[in-house]
Amino acid sequence: MKRLLAITLGILTAIGGFVDIGDLVANGLVGARFGLSLAWVVIVGIGGICVYAEMCGRVAAISGRPVFDIVRERLGPRWGITNLLASFLITFLTLTAEIGGVALALELASSVHYLLWVPLAAFAVWVVIWRVRFKRMEEIFGLLGLCLIVFGVAVWQLGPDWGALWTQATHPAPDGGEGWPTYAYWGIALFGAAMTPYEVFFFSSGGVEEHWSRRDLGTMRANVFIGFPLGGLLSLCIMAATAIVLLPRGVEVETLDQLVTPVTESLGKVGLAVVLIGIFAATFGAALETGLSCGYTVAQYFGWQWGKYVRPRDASRFHVTVLLTILTGVLILCTTVDPVLVTEYSIVLSAAALPLTYLPILVVANDPDYLGEHTNGRFANTVGTVYLGVVLVASLAAIPLMIVTGAGG
Amino acid sequence: MSDGRVYDAHLHLLDRQIIDPDGRMVGKVDDVELASDAEGGLYLAALLVGPAALGRRVGGRFGRLLVRLQGRGEPIRIPMEEVTEIGSAVRLGTRRPPSGLEHWIRDHVVARIPGASVDSDE
Repeated sequence: MKRLLAITLGILTAIGGFVDIGDLVANGLVGARFGLSLAWVVIVGIGGICVYAEMCGRVAAISGRPVFDIVRERLGPRWGITNLLASFLITFLTLTAEIGGVALALELASSVHYLLWVPLAAFAVWVVIWRVRFKRMEEIFGLLGLCLIVFGVAVWQLGPDWGALWTQATHPAPDGGEGWPTYAYWGIALFGAAMTPYEVFFFSSGGVEEHWSRRDLGTMRANVFIGFPLGGLLSLCIMAATAIVLLPRGVEVETLDQLVTPVTESLGKVGLAVVLIGIFAATFGAALETGLSCGYTVAQYFGWQWGKYVRPRDASRFHVTVLLTILTGVLILCTTVDPVLVTEYSIVLSAAALPLTYLPILVVANDPDYLGEHTNGRFANTVGTVYLGVVLVASLAAIPLMIVTGAGG
Repeated sequence: MSDGRVYDAHLHLLDRQIIDPDGRMVGKVDDVELASDAEGGLYLAALLVGPAALGRRVGGRFGRLLVRLQGRGEPIRIPMEEVTEIGSAVRLGTRRPPSGLEHWIRDHVVARIPGASVDSDE
């Protein structure tokens, strides 16, 4: 009974922790512009993150080695450092976007300008990383993030024409004024948001933080194969909500208050309160994950002691890296750059960098040195290889499409 | 490590995580030191850890930057006698003091922030 409770809690945490600012913006924006005609990309993306999160979770549980240990060991020091620079920059950009998202949620709740919230939000993120237990940190923000289910309730309340939604979802092509290049660009953005590299950095390092062993493989797989898809379903609810309310009006999602209009129109002030708690928890939780991931990648490349399972003084370089990264993020936001725009760039650049992370994971998941008898079976390898192909195509197309479409304009 | 097993140093040793008997992270195998025995055969004498050892292998501008970072200090040298196990990590049989930079940052920055010595895992 206790074990069942622990597994349920883990799955709920995985669902609530799945959505971050990238998913919020990408799904909301795409719903308002393309309806559900890109919904299939979310499903493909969730499949990809499940396959690769399971592989790196397995490596972490059996060998105790997280993703960036593998990157350094497989790619060597020179390619490893190139990979580190790219991965760190993208994760840092994502962290900046998440802190901006927290501040924007607080602005919507308080009517105090978001820039005033930025330093406070960043300080709170750092305090939680510095002091709160890893597991508790995960649970609090994961469970609060479940408030985003309100998007699903809103879709139900709006009483949409289900047949029309189904038609959109089953016709994967641009509609109305949109062309193929923008359709493809936002498809890649959605894919990047679903498979953001920091998710596997954090997931595998978290496994080490929580001292996973081979006995935890079942729990880990339950989190990945039940929690992540249900988290992805939340993303689809956001897309459906904006598709129902904003698409017919021709309103594009450029700000967070546009994103929440489907909820306020169907569920009123209570809905607004719940959705703001959800957005706050989702972005704050992801700020913790990306902040830690910045430290994890650097420390794991250089071999420094890292992690929240030791006292901060025993992982000094790691904690200073995290602190400096958060401070730099605040400085970037203080230039008044639009956090939603930072988010859009972070997910497309994530898509461009995906092979850097996923190729070494696939290689090591076949290495008995790391996994003993738990190396990839034929199924995992087939699916993993197919996804590596998809990831390569998305990666190669991301930057050219960004240039051609003027970043999706 | 005197059982005479042959290791492919490039695949099995370089760039692996080094941990001490308590599982604490010591560094990476940034490079290795080879020595020759009486008959002229090469054998692995020590693991080298630190930015200077890493920088030489990275090469280029960034590599030189890493070497300069180390300053006059030499890489940490861990004799192979201290290695007890080579697996997905390289395990040592003895504890080692933290490196210079870790030590300096701990004493001058991290230890001065309240809560630095509290174990958040309990």
